[in-house]
Formats: sequence, structure tokens, C-alpha cells
Amino acid sequence: MATAEQEQTGEFLLDEKTLREIETMKGAGQWSIVWRRIKKDKMGMLGLYIVLFLILMAFSSWILLGFDNWLTSQGYLLGDPLNPRSFNNLYIELWLPGMPADSPLVLFQHPRHHFPELAKLPPSFKHPFGTDGIGHDMVSRIFFGATVSLALGFIGQMTTVIIGTFLGSIAGFYGGAIDDILQRVIELLYSMPGFILMIFIIVLFEDVNIPGGRYAVVVIFFSLIGWGGTALIVRSNFFSLKQQDFVEAERALGASDMRIIFKHILPNSLAPLIIIVTLGIANTIFLFAALAFFGFGDPNAVSWGDDLNKWQNELLYFPWMPMFPALFIFFTVLGFNLLGDALRDALDPRLKD
Amino acid sequence: MSLKGFIIRRTIYIVPVMLGITLMNFTLINVSPGDPVIVRLGLIHCDHDDCYNAAYNGEAIEMGLLDRDYYTIPWFKRYVSFVNDLLHFDLGKSWYYTQAGEGIPIAKIISDRAIYTVVLNVLAFFFSLLLATAIGVVSATRQNSFWDRSLTIAMLLGYSMPLFWLAKLLMLLSFQLFNFTGVANKDAFKTPLFLNPNFYKYLILPTLALTLGGLVFMARLVRSQLLEILRQDYITTAKAKGLDNRAVIYKHAFRNGLLPIVTIIGNSLPGLLAGSVMIESVFGWPGLGTVFLEGALFRDYPMMMATNTIFPLLFLVARLLTDITYVFIDPRIRY
Repeated sequence: MATAEQEQTGEFLLDEKTLREIETMKGAGQWSIVWRRIKKDKMGMLGLYIVLFLILMAFSSWILLGFDNWLTSQGYLLGDPLNPRSFNNLYIELWLPGMPADSPLVLFQHPRHHFPELAKLPPSFKHPFGTDGIGHDMVSRIFFGATVSLALGFIGQMTTVIIGTFLGSIAGFYGGAIDDILQRVIELLYSMPGFILMIFIIVLFEDVNIPGGRYAVVVIFFSLIGWGGTALIVRSNFFSLKQQDFVEAERALGASDMRIIFKHILPNSLAPLIIIVTLGIANTIFLFAALAFFGFGDPNAVSWGDDLNKWQNELLYFPWMPMFPALFIFFTVLGFNLLGDALRDALDPRLKD
Repeated sequence: MSLKGFIIRRTIYIVPVMLGITLMNFTLINVSPGDPVIVRLGLIHCDHDDCYNAAYNGEAIEMGLLDRDYYTIPWFKRYVSFVNDLLHFDLGKSWYYTQAGEGIPIAKIISDRAIYTVVLNVLAFFFSLLLATAIGVVSATRQNSFWDRSLTIAMLLGYSMPLFWLAKLLMLLSFQLFNFTGVANKDAFKTPLFLNPNFYKYLILPTLALTLGGLVFMARLVRSQLLEILRQDYITTAKAKGLDNRAVIYKHAFRNGLLPIVTIIGNSLPGLLAGSVMIESVFGWPGLGTVFLEGALFRDYPMMMATNTIFPLLFLVARLLTDITYVFIDPRIRY
């Protein structure tokens, strides 16, 4: 009976703890309470740090690659005058304070330029992640690949969530025929395994020429077919919220439907949306990486999934070539999963184990 | 309403959904840019236009895009004939898999290859269910112990690991340890299949990878379900009666935890199938997944159309079975 006793004392302690928690949170807003709960969650904070690090990496690589000429002309990036390659921006060099201006630190190679004489080098001080089969520096490929890999996950997930929220809120608010039609459509989309349907669509629409290349097609179709889950959750939230007194009161004051939906009900169902976005980004990044791995990505893009696809067969003899892109995909998915779990626990403590 | 009526109603319900799915696939193929005939004709080389036009028209007639008088057949007629063929289990002929210049009928390819996918998936499903239950029970009954923590972290890491990469890592590990990559070759599939020791040898790594993939999903679920149930009052009552811990968990807690678990398992079956597409492709296992992926890489339209009809059908059947299982597990459910 030791377990039952433990359970009781555990419950008692929990009560005390909850009381103290309530004491400290007096007068605090909802978001500061959520933030305090996340800060206590060690795994959640680890996830947050991973996600922040990756976002920082993606942003800085985007700026470095997109504006390197401008940055050089402004003097933030220095070219080595003795090295012709650095003038053509084949190296991206960074001047650190305290270092002589004529020998800057070579941080990254240009991700699209390769040096055939440097192919297949194992990890070393100069190339911490080694070089790949045709002489790209893997550190540079991974650093600059972060932009595409993360942006795809973010954009894909944000568009699905926006479409899903919009359709779900309309269906949940008005009900009736709109709701019925939407439910049938969701049922259709849900019966198709996403990975297989995406391959089907990518192959069919391979030849489409739109700005952004093949990945733009992938993201557009992903958001067109992926909104079902969000719509269902938003819809059920609307069903329970639209009966509440504050909505009645607002209606009695003569507010329009749009005002009730966007100003009153939607902000109240923000918590599940935040969770969907965070956990969904992990799934989206995983899906796009899987598509790229099996050859349905864009071979010209600089992204982790495509590098993985290119070098997957070198794994047994040159393991560093595919290992590092895969490791970064793993870290990204892990970070977003950890953060999403922590957010779920913090936003909706009832669900916590 | 009777149980029989419920089952019949749910089975009939599959028909409109399948019609919707085939219609969607059909529309997607029709609105996609590029002429499928030209894709098909890619290998034919002609010196002058007449030859090319003749080949083009012949191919279009064979594909059912033009009728005998070279008029375009409207899409709804093509859709009706597609559904009609489907009802007769005629999935058309593959473009990529050919034998003596003729495409092999897709129904034949599928019936030949299905056995590999079925063996792999059934084994992996069985093992992952068994292990997930064991891990879930160990974690839930010893909550916050060392074992629970390490198992939870391991599950989390596995959950974040892309399945195809897990398969590749297993391959690397096995190569380093046993000098055996597990990539299937011809030896493995000599008939009689089930008496062939090589078949089992090459089955090990794909099964292991797929088991791990399914395991991480299920174990998380079993754990959280059991934890929720162990907190209920009737468990305390059972313990207060002086029942043995084992009896409390397996007789009281586990049966009630089964229902949500069955839901997720039913819904994860198609995920397992999609996972087996990845695993099969990595290990060169000649099941349906490999056939599908290779066909897609070489733009084998009839094959893709067939897979995109079969996989949703499997999903719907899995969901139907889940719903029926509910009724047997939980007497409270009214249908």
C-alpha cells in the first residue's frame, strides 16, 4: 500500500505547490504565466534554445548570401586582397575585431562553388564537417542550407494553419451546409497518406514554371491539402465557444459576425493554434526532408534534404557527407518537438501527465 | 440499430469517399501541365513528322485520350471508364515495368509484390505493438523512475529521427559490425520463399527499422493512456482491495486503456504503410513501396494512379476495422 500513500502525499504536496504558484502569479498576464511554466521545463528550454539557434542561423545565412556584395562594399565583410577567389565572393569572410584587416577569417565558402581538388576530405580543422563528393565545404552547405530547410517548414506550416483557421472558423461559426461540405472535404483529404499524395502531385506538376522553382509548387500543394487537421480543431473550439455568454453579450451589443469571429472567439482559441504551429513545423520539415531524400526535391536548391539525397549512397565509406545534413534535420525536428510539447504543457496544464 | 446494420452502413460509406478520391486524382492528372502522351513517347525517335504524328495518335488512342476517329474524349467519359475498369480490378498497364515491349498489367505487379510488403508490415506491426506495450507499461507503472526517464528520452529521440535516416543508420551499424548492409539482392527471393534462409536474413534489418519506427509512436501513447487511467478512483479501489499490482494493471487499467490505443493504432496503420514505402526503398526490398517510388520517379502515370487509389482504400478499411473493434472492446459504445 506504499504506492497509495505516496500518491496521497504527492497530491498534498501538489496542492501546496499549486497554492504557491498561484501566489506568485497574482496579477500576472496569461503570457507571463505561460512563460514562467516553460522556463521551469528543462526539456522545453532546450528545445527553445535549439529553435532559436536554428532561426538565427537561417537568418544570418540568408543575409550573408543575399547581401554579401553590399556588405563587402560597406566594409562589414572583407575580401582578402591576395586571394582572387575571395574577390569573387567564393569565400565569405568575416572580419573580427582585433584581427589584422588583410588576413580575415575565412568562415564559409560560397555554397554553390566547389573546389574539385578538395573533394572527399574527412572532417578536419579547416573543414569541420569535411567536404562532399565534388568539393563543397559541408559546414558552408549546412549553414546556407538552413535558410531553405527552415523557411519551407515555416511557410508551409503557416499557410496550412491560416487556411485551416479561416475555413475552420467559418464552418464552426455558421455550421449548417458549409460545415457539412467542409467535413466531407476534410474526410477526403484525410484518407490519403500525405507522403504518397505529395509524391503524386510533385511528379504531376514537375514541369510547372513559377518563381521559386519546384519547392514553391511543393509548398503550395502542401498547404492546399494539409489544412484539414487545423480546421477540425478550430471548428470544435468555435462550437464550444460560440455558446458562451461573452459571445451572446457581444451579439446583443450589435457586433458583426466578422468582429465576433476575429476579435473574440479566435483570440480565445489561440492556444491550440500555437501548439499546432510548433509541432506542425517539425512534421513539415520532416515531410519535405523525406520528399527530398527520395528524389522529389529540387536538386539545384541548397537544402539539407537535397544534400542528404545527393550523398546518401556514400554513407558506408564517406559517412560525414550525408551524416551532418541528417543530423541537422534531426536537431530541427527534435527542437520543435520539445518546444511544442513544453508549450502544450504550459498552455493547457490539464493535458500534462 | 443492430451491429450488422452498423457494419453494412459503414462499409457502404466507403464508396462515396473512394469516388471522391478517384475524382480528385483524376482531376489532378487532368489539370497538370505537360502532355502525358509526350511523356510516354519520350523514348520513340522519329525522323519526320508523319511518323511522329502516327505514333502520337496511336499512343493517345491506346491511352484512351482520343477515340478511333481522333476526337478528344471528354474527361467525364474517361472518368466513368476509369471507374468501370477499377470495378473490374483492371488498373491498366504499367509504363515503366515492361516485359517484351509490353507493359505489365498493374494488377499483376501488385499481386506479385504484395507478399513482400505484407510479410514486412505484419512482422513489424506485431513486434512494435508488443514492445510498445511493454515499454508503455514499464514507463507508466514506474513513473519518473530512472527507467521511465531514459525510456521517455529514447522515445523522444526516436520520434524526432526521420525514419529513412534511422534505416540508413541501421545499415551503417550493421555494415560496421557484420559487414552486411542488408540491401536485398537476388539470393533473397529464390522460391520457395519461406524455405529460403536468405529471405529471413535480408528481412531482419527492414523489419527492425520499421519496428523502431512504429514503436516510438505507439509507446508514447500507451504510456500517457495508462498514466491517465492509473490516476482514476477505481484503480485506487482495486489496490485498496489488496489486489496484486500485476492484476491491477493488466485486468483493471489495461483494458480501459485499450480503446484510445486501438484508435491510434488503426489510424497509424496507413502511417506504417507510408513508413514501409521509405524502408523498402532504402533496403531495396521489392515490395509495393519500391514499385510505387520507382514508378513515380519515372513518371509511370497508371502506376501512380493505382497506388493513389489503393493506399486510401487501405486507410479506409483500416478505419472501418478500428470502428468495428471499438464496438467489441467497449460495451458502452452505441452505434
